[in-house]
Parts: sequence; structure tokens; C-alpha cells
Amino acid sequence: MQYLTPDVIFNALGEVGSTVLFILLAAVVLELLVYFLWSPLTAFSRVLDRRLRVLGAVPRHAASTILLVGALILVVAMVSPGREPSPLAPYWPVPLLAFVLGSFLSPNLVKVFKPDLRLPYMLLAPAIVGLLLLQVYPLLWELNVSFTNLSPRHFQSPDFVGLVNYIEVFTKPVLKQVHFVPVFLRTLLWTAINLTFHVGGGMVLALLLNRDLRFKGLYRTLLVLPWAIPQVIAVLAWRGEFHYEYGFVNILLRNAGLSALQWLTDPVWNFLGMCLTNIWLGVPFMMVILLGGLQSISGEFYEAAEIDGASPVQQFRHITLPLLQPVLTPAIILGIIWTFTNFNVPFFINQNELETSDTLVTALFRSAFQYFNLGDAAAFAFVNFGILFVLSALYVRASGGLKGATE
Amino acid sequence: MKKHSLAIVSVLALVGLIVAACAQPTPEVVEVTRVVTETEEVEVTKEVVTEVEVTKEVERIVEVEKELEPVEIVLWTKEGEADGGLQFVQSLADAYTAEHPNVTFEVTNKDVETLREDFLTAGLAGAMPDLLWTVNDHAGPFTDAQLVMATDDLFDLGKYVASARAAVQLGEKTWGVPISNGNHLMLLYNKDLIEEAPADTDEMIEKGLELTTGDQYGLVYNQTEPFWMVPWLGGFQGAVFAPDGKTPTLDTAEMVDTLQFLYDIKYTTPIIPAESDYDGADTLFKEGKAAMIINGDWSLGSYKDVLGDKLGVARIPMVSATEQWPHPYTSGVYFMLPVSLEEASEAKMEAVKGFISFVTNATNQALMVAKLNRLPALEVALDDPLIANDPILKGSADQMTVGTPMPTVSEMRCNWDAMKPEMGAVLADTKAPADAAADMQAAADNCVATLD
Repeated sequence: MQYLTPDVIFNALGEVGSTVLFILLAAVVLELLVYFLWSPLTAFSRVLDRRLRVLGAVPRHAASTILLVGALILVVAMVSPGREPSPLAPYWPVPLLAFVLGSFLSPNLVKVFKPDLRLPYMLLAPAIVGLLLLQVYPLLWELNVSFTNLSPRHFQSPDFVGLVNYIEVFTKPVLKQVHFVPVFLRTLLWTAINLTFHVGGGMVLALLLNRDLRFKGLYRTLLVLPWAIPQVIAVLAWRGEFHYEYGFVNILLRNAGLSALQWLTDPVWNFLGMCLTNIWLGVPFMMVILLGGLQSISGEFYEAAEIDGASPVQQFRHITLPLLQPVLTPAIILGIIWTFTNFNVPFFINQNELETSDTLVTALFRSAFQYFNLGDAAAFAFVNFGILFVLSALYVRASGGLKGATE
Repeated sequence: MKKHSLAIVSVLALVGLIVAACAQPTPEVVEVTRVVTETEEVEVTKEVVTEVEVTKEVERIVEVEKELEPVEIVLWTKEGEADGGLQFVQSLADAYTAEHPNVTFEVTNKDVETLREDFLTAGLAGAMPDLLWTVNDHAGPFTDAQLVMATDDLFDLGKYVASARAAVQLGEKTWGVPISNGNHLMLLYNKDLIEEAPADTDEMIEKGLELTTGDQYGLVYNQTEPFWMVPWLGGFQGAVFAPDGKTPTLDTAEMVDTLQFLYDIKYTTPIIPAESDYDGADTLFKEGKAAMIINGDWSLGSYKDVLGDKLGVARIPMVSATEQWPHPYTSGVYFMLPVSLEEASEAKMEAVKGFISFVTNATNQALMVAKLNRLPALEVALDDPLIANDPILKGSADQMTVGTPMPTVSEMRCNWDAMKPEMGAVLADTKAPADAAADMQAAADNCVATLD
């Protein structure tokens, strides 16, 4: 434990300062490089495109795709999954060459290097590099790990096992007992319950606040507080309140003459405890989004509807909901994604590691970092990603909810 | 004006960052005169050369150390604040720094499971700490992953208690240096609520039922961890491994009996809370709302502070059905050396070795006994009258005599992970003991199969 002396503070500031300075300098150098190289690259790409037109567009596309995909595969293979460097690491110029050749062959190169795109690419360059290092590289590493048996007994140099891990995600328990399908179904149930109450609760509160009300600002502030509190803090506080002996929930139940509940050890009550906590956390966000949407709906629609004799329910169904859809659709999509991938609530409320309360994300975490089956966990992660991607795409297509925003 | 102000502030901030970033630590020049006697220690200061005159004949050692390489040791410890362990570790680090001003420590507490997970992750990321202060069963996964180094050639291990050494021996090598011996569970009781510890489980249940009222319990223990279940398994004459020490044997009649016993003391003859984790049990006992607790030697210090003479220590009661004493796992706490030290500077390696020798010397072992009430790992320290004359330490040592060494093989991890959810299911009354035993066996077998 280092005590917070002036020396410690100054040293910490120095470390942070030097890191920030390094990043700033690197970003400046990168942007200058892009700026000065853009014109020569633009000219070069045009000359190259003219010379390569004789090959034909289709062969160029095909060759370019093969080279670029090959480069990607080689990079994935070179990323060492274990502690020892990959035996392919010394051949790093090969994928680099393949990438460069593939880019040069591509008919799309000339569309990238345009004079008027110099400034946007210059400004985007640091972010692109950051994303490559912080998102793309870890993903490639994880992809590599998913084809290996990386675990404590194969830590230094794991073996390539092909698609075995992906198959075992569906055929063997993902943790100790529970298989993939029950965890997946439980995650869907968790998402459905939470989203229903988030949207329902948020809508009710938004409708209540979307009127002339005394102390509206105060109510809004209080209702937004759960969202403002750091999520981990709020979840840990709730976990404390679910304590059998000392939690206020059981104290209230006992005072009301009811039996205390085993929130942390009983599968059903633990799951309900997770849902209660997440609903409390998620309603304010929906409320704020829907309130914004409600305030953008012109009052004339409601006046006209009243004149026509529409009841409040009819007004809600035929005016409020359709006009809220451009706001509601992205909010629900976000809600699905955030709830499906929520880690804090299921992990911390389920402190006793009940497999009956695990969602896909927490099961993945335990598989990776508690049981250290890193190869299996990596495959599990990509399966989770695939499911989430499909769910989001299906919803957007089925609801057509974004049509209103784009028309 | 606002634009200019913003520009000036930005420039000042940038200049400040540059200055801070360019700050270099100045090497310390320390001239030390140290006078060592048999019975005295002289406080050494950085700036002052001090010579203390002594009247007795003493051995004078004068060391002048110039331009010492600063060494920072990152130490991860499983010791927590609640029982004073972390404070003790920090005090040892501070004392070592006082004697070796160029050596500083960054002490970080992580609970046992978090330490294991984080160290494995750090190993993969190439960002390991310099030293671990942890439990023996981490030796299995850490040696499998080849993340810790053998200590046979680095230290004279013969001066430590044999059973403590044995607990970190795998494949004919020793993978740690013992700090304390024990880390075992025992029965602790509040003499204000119960005069004498029960001799067997029938008596424990009988007394427990009398003591369990709305606000008080006869017995508490951590119901979430199988570490608290295995002593009873031993009492029912069961074991988690076959004689080969690697094949899980969880689906046995003995395990079913153990799970049934734990179920019975919760539901049939309820003497324990409906739900209780480590902190809950600990708090209930400290608040005087539990007559007995099954907890480990690491908690003795804090219970002694709260209960004083009212604290009683005894063996976990004999199982009446089998007339066998429960066998809590015994091990200890150990230093483990990450392999990253092999690439560190010689100064760091020497500092780490020096610190380990310092912590496990007779003086500090006696200090640990006095402050934390843990049995020492150093053999000569066992002769300290503090142990023989202290009823608490005597009780702790007595429990150890019927303990069983905790397995350190990686397969033990499979057993722990298999037993935990099933024990929880039985205690939550969602699974019958027989089904739980079968399921934990399947889970353990599944896990062992994935190890290779």
C-alpha cells in the first residue's frame, strides 16, 4: 500500500503525463504523415489504376480479396495465443506484403485516395490506429485462441485444435453443469423481463412527467439518480440489501410478518433479485429517452384526435406510439444489447456463483477467468457475438423502425 | 480575452505535463553505519551516519552503500484488513524498507480466488507481480502454467516445518517458502453463550438447538465454500481423491452422508442461519449472536480482540455416527516467486530473497504468532513458550493434529469447482444429497478431462 504522499502524487502525475504526451506526439506525427503522403499516394493510386485496368475489374477484385483475406488469416495465425511467441512471428513481412499488394490491386483504392478526403482521413487516422490496436488486435488474438486449447496446462504454447471448441460450446457444459441452451434461454428471459419493465416503467414515468406538474424538475432529478450512480456501486449496495440477516429487504419482510428470503442462495429469488436491481437501474434511461420523444410530438395531433373523439388509449395507440417509434426503436435495440450483455448485475448479485443465475456473459467470464478454459471461452465469446448480431439485425429488419428516421 | 485565457491555460497545462513527464528520480546516496548487537537493533536513517557506542562487546559491521539501485517490489497478498493480516504484511514491508532504504514495496491485497485468477491473467499478459503471499493450493495451477519458480536452490528450506514444506511440494520440487503453518478450520466458541465446546455432533446439535432463538444461532459457518464442508467429509471417513491423489471420488456414500448432515443442521434440526456467507457468519459471531463458529486460524486475532478471554478454541466436534474427528485441510501461507524474477535485475532478486528471509526469521515469526495468532512455519519458532502457554494457539495446534494436508494438484481445482454449486444446491434445498454427489462427480470428471 503506497500512502498518498506528495512524492507518490507527483510520480503518478508524471507517469500519466508522459503517457498522454506520448500519445499526443504520436497522433501529431501520424496526422502529419497522412497529410504529406496523401498527395503522392493519390497520384500513385491513379497511375496504378490506369495501368491495371487491362486486367479487368473482376480479376482485380478477386485477386485483391484473396490477398487481403490471406493477409488477415496470416495475421490471426501469427498472433501468439500463449506466453511464447508464435513460430510464424518472424515471417511478419509476408502478411504485410499481401496486404499492400491486395490494396494496390483493388479497384477501390482510387476511391479511397481522393484529394478532398485528405482532411477527414488525417483526422481519423489516430482513431483508426487506436481501434486497430485496442479492438481489432484483441479480437484477432481471441479468434486465434478460440482455435487452441489454451488453459493452465497449455499456457506456454497451446495446441491448434481446429473447430473443437466451437463444437464443444454446444455439446459440453459451458461451466460445470449447465449447457449452452439453458443459459441462452435464461439470458433471453432475463432480457425480455428487464426490457418489458424498462420500457413499460419508463413510458409510464415519461407520460406522467410530460405534463404541467409542480416540482417536475425535482421529480425528474430524483428519478434519474439510479442512472447517475456508478453501476457497480449501485449493484454492490443492492447486494448488501439482499443479505439474509442484515439486508433491508429481509428486514422489511420480517417487520411485515413475512419470512425472510434467501436472495443469494435460492435460484429463483436470486434471479428475481437480479431482475429487480436491473429494472431499478434501467428505468431512468428509458424514461429520459421517451420523455424527449414525447416532448417532440406536436400537441396539435392530440387536439385533432380529441376533436375526432379519440379516447386517451386510442390517442396513445395511434398517435403517441407511432410517433415515438423513431425514438423507441433505437432505445429498445440499445436496451436489448445492454441487457443481454449486462455483466455487473448478474455477476455481483450472484456472488455465490449459482449456475442457475448465470447469463451468457457471466458464464463466459467464469469460463475464461475463473476456470481458465481460455480456448473454450474464446469460442463461446464468438458464439455470443454471433447471436447478438443476428438478434439486432432481425429486430431492425422486422420492425422497420428506422424508416421514420430516414424518410 | 477568453480565447487568450484558454490558450494560456492550455500552454501552461502542456508545459506542466512535459515537466512532470521529464522528472527523473535522483539516485539516492546513502551512507549507513550499522551497529549490530545480539540484543539490540539500531534504527538506520537515510541522511545521518550514526555510530552508537555500546558498553557490551559487540560485533561492529560498518557498511557504506553508495548509489544503491532503487528496487520496488510489487507484492500481492491474500491477507485482508479485517483480521489485521494486511496491516501486518505492510508493517513488515515498512520495517524492511527502514533497514534497506532502496527497497520499497507496493502491497496489494486480493482475496484468495481473485489472486489466483489475476495472477494467471497477469502471467498471460506478461505483467506479473514480483512476489506472492498466498495459500498452498495455488501451487498446482501456477506450476501447471509454469508461472512460479522452484525454491529448493534459493533458500535453506530445511529450517521450516516439514508438513509446511510438504504442502507446496509437487514433482519432487518445492514451489514456495512457508510463512505460517496451518490455515486450518477449527471450532471457536463464545464462552458467554456456551461454557464448553461440544465433544461430538450430537452434543453440538443438542446445545445448538437450545441456543438457537430468533436472534441467535447455535452455530455459524461460511455456507458458500466447500472448504467448510471437507472437514465433515473427513469425519464421515470420506475423501475427495482416490489413493492416487488425482482421481476425484465425490460420488460416494460418505459424501452423501456429509451433505445430509449439513442439510440436517439447517432444516431438520436447525442450528445455523438459513443463509450465511463468510462475512455474515463472522459478523454474527463477533456481535455475540452465534455461540459457535467454524473458522480458520486467520480469524483468531480479530476474535481475540473482540472476545478476549471469552474466546474458546477446540476441535471441530467428532462425528457421532462414525466416532471420527473431522479432518480440516491444513496447509499454510507461502511466498511464491513468479518466473518473471528470472529476468529481473540481480538487485531485485536479492531484495526479494532478503525480504523472504526477513519475514521468516525467528523475530518476525514470533511477532506473527503474537499479532495474528498463527502457528509459525519456522521450526525453531515452534518452541516459543508463547505457543505452549497460550490456550488459543494450543487449541489451534491441537486441531492441526487431526488435520489432513490439502492437496495442491490442479485436479483439486476441479473438485472445488464441482463441490461448490452442489453444496449450495443442497443447502438451498433444491437438490437431494445423492443427486448432488452424483452431479459433483460428473462435473469433476468433466473438468479433469479438460485439463489435458
